[in-house]
Order: sequence, then C-alpha cells, then structure tokens
Amino acid sequence: MFGLDFTWLLDPTYQGWLVEGVWITLQLAAVSSLAALVIGLFGALGLTLRLWWLDALIELFVEVFRNTPPLLQMLFFYFTLTQLGFTIEDPVTGLQQPLFNAFFSASVSLSLFGGALCVEAFRSGLDAVPKATLEAARSLGYGRWALFRRVQAPIATRICLPGLTNVLTNLFKTTSQASVITVPELMYAAGQVYNDTFRTLEAMLLVLVIYVALVSLLSWALLRLERLFAYPGYGQGV
Amino acid sequence: MVINPSYEQRKRLLLVGILLTVIALVLVDAARGGSAEWSRVIARLPLLLTGSAQGWPITGGFLLNVVMGIASMAIATAVGTLLGLSLLARRRLVRQPAFVVMNFLRNAPWLVVLFAMLYLLPYRLTLLGVTFEFSPLAKAIIGLSLPTAANFAEVIRGAVQSVHAGQWESARSLGYSTAQIYRRVILPQAFRRMIPGWMNLYALLMIATSLATVTGVQEVVTLLRTTLSMESETTLVYFYLAVLAMFFAYCYPIALLARRLENKTKGDSL
Repeated sequence: MFGLDFTWLLDPTYQGWLVEGVWITLQLAAVSSLAALVIGLFGALGLTLRLWWLDALIELFVEVFRNTPPLLQMLFFYFTLTQLGFTIEDPVTGLQQPLFNAFFSASVSLSLFGGALCVEAFRSGLDAVPKATLEAARSLGYGRWALFRRVQAPIATRICLPGLTNVLTNLFKTTSQASVITVPELMYAAGQVYNDTFRTLEAMLLVLVIYVALVSLLSWALLRLERLFAYPGYGQGV
Repeated sequence: MVINPSYEQRKRLLLVGILLTVIALVLVDAARGGSAEWSRVIARLPLLLTGSAQGWPITGGFLLNVVMGIASMAIATAVGTLLGLSLLARRRLVRQPAFVVMNFLRNAPWLVVLFAMLYLLPYRLTLLGVTFEFSPLAKAIIGLSLPTAANFAEVIRGAVQSVHAGQWESARSLGYSTAQIYRRVILPQAFRRMIPGWMNLYALLMIATSLATVTGVQEVVTLLRTTLSMESETTLVYFYLAVLAMFFAYCYPIALLARRLENKTKGDSL
C-alpha cells in the first residue's frame, strides 16, 4: 500500500538501533521529568513564601524558559557546557572524555524547561485551593505547616494533576529534539536507519507511531493516577 | 512623602530593573566601541533577522519564522475549527474519527510530525488539474499547522463545553434549532473564551517554528548554525543569547496579553 516498504524492520541490526533509541528516550524523559518535578516543587514552594524578590526571580526563570524555543535552549546548553572543557578519564580506555556530554546537556536543558512549566502547574494548583477551606482549617487551629501538609498540599496536588499531565507529556515529546544535539535517542536512531536503508518515510512513520504510543501510554497512566486519587468535588471538570 | 510600594509593584520594579540593567550593560558596551563578541553579533544581526546581510530583501531569518508562524496559524485555525466542531458533533461517525485524529496529532512530537510531513508530502501534486508544488517552506508550514490545529480543536471544544448547559436547554425551549443555538447563543460566548487559548497557541507555534531548521528552510536557527560555523568559539554564547532574546521579545508579550484576557474572561461563567 502506497509503496511503503517495511521489510528492513526484519533486520535485527535496525531493530537493535530502534530499541536502543527507545531506551535512551525513556531514560532522558525519566531523568528530566524527575528533575523538572523537583525544580517545579521548589519553585512553587518558593512562591508560597511571599518574598517579593524571590517571587520576581522565579517568575523571570519561568518566563524565560517558557517563551524561548527548547531547541535553542538545548543547543545553548550543549555548546556552553561542552565549552567549559571539563573532562573525565574513561576508566576503560584511559582516554579523556568530556564530562558534560550531549545526554547530560540535553537532560539539564530539558529539566530546566520542564521545571519552568512545572512551577506554573504547581502554582496554579496551590492557587486553586479554595480560600474558604483554608480559613476553615485555620479556624480549627491548624498551624502553618500542618495546614500546608494536611490541607493545602493534598488538595493542590489533586487539582494540578491534569496540568501536570500536560507538562510531562509535553516534556516527553520535547525529548525528540535532543536528536539535534546528537543524543542517540529514538529520533536519532530513525535517522541512522534511514541513512542506511534510504527508507526515510517508512522510518519516520514508524517513529511517529512509536512516539504517539508512548505518549498515549504516559497520559493514560497519569489519567488513571488522577482518577485513583481524586477527592469527590475537587479538580473534576473545573 | 513615604513611598511604600505594594508587593506586586516591588516585584515588577525588580523585573523591570533587571531588564533595564541588561539593556544598559549592552548599550554601555556598544558605546565603548563594543567588546569583540557583541560587535560580531551586531554585525550579523541584519542577517539573523532578515536573512540577507544588508537587511534587505527579506529572504529568511527571524522574519521568516514570523511569516511561517502566521501562515501555519491561519491554516491551523481553519482546520482546527472544522476538527473542533466535529468533536462536538452528535453523530458518532463524525465525532470518533475526529477524536482519533486529534489525539494522534496532540500526542505526536512536533519535530516528528514535521519530519514525517517532509517525506510524506510529494514535491508536486496534481489535483483536479491544478498542480501544487510543495517547497520545503510549504512543507514546514503544513507540518507545523497540523499539531496546532489539533490543539486548537481542543481549545474550541473546551470553550464550547464551558458554556453552561442551562443555556442549551433554555434556547431549545425557546424553539431555536441546533444551528441557531450555536450561532446565536453558544459561539458568541465561547468565542470570547477561545481567544486566550488561541493566543497561547500562537506563542507556542512561534516557538516551534525554530524546529523548521530540520527542513533546511533559511529560518533563524538555520542561519544561526551556518553563521556560527564561520565565527570563533568564544562568540557562540553571545549569538545564542541574541537569538533567544529575539524569541523572548516576540513571544512574551503575546503570552502576557493572553494571560490578561484569560483572567478577564474567567469571571463570566454563565
């Protein structure tokens, strides 16, 4: 059909490349999602302190990373970090390897990009906790920390889950851009395959389907999580 | 007179202060004859902005990103409206395929869609006697507009569904047909709520136009990378900062305006 030729998929070499690519994509997504969640958490907690200068600095960070292309951020970090010239001796070969390689630069860049999006997601969750609920808890004698831990945080987490799902799927999709700085992830593996087989369209369609499957799986899992933890009346259809 | 700025004012003051300091540092540097790095960047600025070294004619650069963004947004708005309305259709036969298409495009990375379009679209297509030629630029515009259209469809669906169900019922009880309800009751209200989402999407699309570098179009990232191959390694950082600043200067005001509008329309929920 359409003259598509997928016979190359039977070759174990190409299968190996693609599987390796998926594995690196998953690693990159996992590392940067975790780091992004941590950055987002600290950022949002920093905002609750209500210090005007900290607030301004966090806003600056968020807006700069949200309003510039992640591709350029990645290129920027790749070139600056590798320019720093830190090297590490490879224990196997004894050769000097750059300490900050492409994978590391991509992780740093994606973590900061995802972190900026996460700050926003967590902040909107914290903001959406009804004021009346907080006042009610305060009048029951909750202190600041207990109020946060027992009332504000549990409700906010549930409210921000849909937003967080968007951020994490977005981050997963953005990992494909790491191929531009030669991180050997799925997109890069596809490039290797079609340079070898000249089956550009087939390789791209296959990778497209793999990405859609992975992202759908991720968003489905997060939706399940959302349903599992939902409080009746909070964060549903609001 | 005691000046006691509020929390928000102090915050804004600091942000404006940081911005002015950065601008001042660059200006002072330029006035002193300019450090070697910045003067290299300034020499290349017309190239990066317009694609030609003298700044005229416009053949690429950041302005091409703007053009691509506007063209893709126009296509995405048209296709997204159709897709969004199909999502709201009562017939399953219309709704479910639209849902599958939307989810597929929303879950696909922009870069991969762009690549796929690059190879999927033929160089030349004859349809009903009319020959279309797909240049890399046309392919990039189409490739960027597809994910945007899917996202816009979701914006439309969200906006229409946010209109209170009671309005449907009261309009129906007044004898309006479905088409009339959409045209006279639902869409005028939903339209107001779509605008912030539409603007956010435009800012997102503008940022994504940088991906068109993979199609070989002479947009700003392509030019940046070819320029850098001619520059010394110490100036790299300055060039990247300059192009990042271009995107920020273009996208941030749009995002800011979108947020203002969003806060304004948040109140009218009925």
